Amino acid sequence: MLDVKLKGKTIAMVLPSKVGFERVAMECSASYARILGFAADKIEDIKTAVSEACLNAIEHGNKGNTEAKVHITMAFDGQGLAISVKDEGQGISHPLKEPNIESKIEGLEGPRGLGIFLMQNLMDEVEFEKPGNEHVVKMVKYR
Amino acid sequence: MDKATDVFMRREGDVVIVNIKGDVTAQSEQVIEDAYEKISSSGYQKILLHFDENAYINSGGIAVLITMLAKSRKNNQVIYMTGLSDHFQKIFHMVGITNYSKIYSSEPEALQDFA
Repeated sequence: MLDVKLKGKTIAMVLPSKVGFERVAMECSASYARILGFAADKIEDIKTAVSEACLNAIEHGNKGNTEAKVHITMAFDGQGLAISVKDEGQGISHPLKEPNIESKIEGLEGPRGLGIFLMQNLMDEVEFEKPGNEHVVKMVKYR
Repeated sequence: MDKATDVFMRREGDVVIVNIKGDVTAQSEQVIEDAYEKISSSGYQKILLHFDENAYINSGGIAVLITMLAKSRKNNQVIYMTGLSDHFQKIFHMVGITNYSKIYSSEPEALQDFA
């Protein structure tokens, strides 16, 4: 079984902190999930969550510093695909409440700020850690 | 690295169909905003956004669309959408965009509902 071979194997990549490179992580996560036998709709969920985590790392964590990097790891334990996205800054401050589309349409809040909401709604587990001068988003999607 | 966004507009009766080719991200803001302003200055009230089914849409692109929907509401315009993959239909529903814009599975279906 392919799963047995992949169990415990970790994929790691380091991306330039530049908008657009989130697509590299996105496509890699999709390829890995496809090999692991994830259903097509779950693969799409993973792609969007990974893209949003990387974008937050690039835009908010590393604050546009193109010298900084985004560190991504992906590992499968036989049940879930665990993905972590680490920036070299302070990450993004977590919203206290869910984005409200009505407030956005009425102009009471900005139109952006949907990334964390999407990650939390598309993945089965999402948590944020700040070890030292870094910020890590850890996400899991179960098969 | 984004696929550049191209916008093509055509008329179908009193509806303007906006074909959005390529990805929809924060980098698409100017081209989509320009298209919307052109449509509005021409006085159109019915707008159908037709996306590429394989388009990459991220939260930055969704924000661009929310901004357009906010403007359309103030201008008493109606915006419908079509061409979205099942995944992005789900996301648009999740975010609440479907409270402000109907999503159709095909262009003829949307045009029929506009009539």
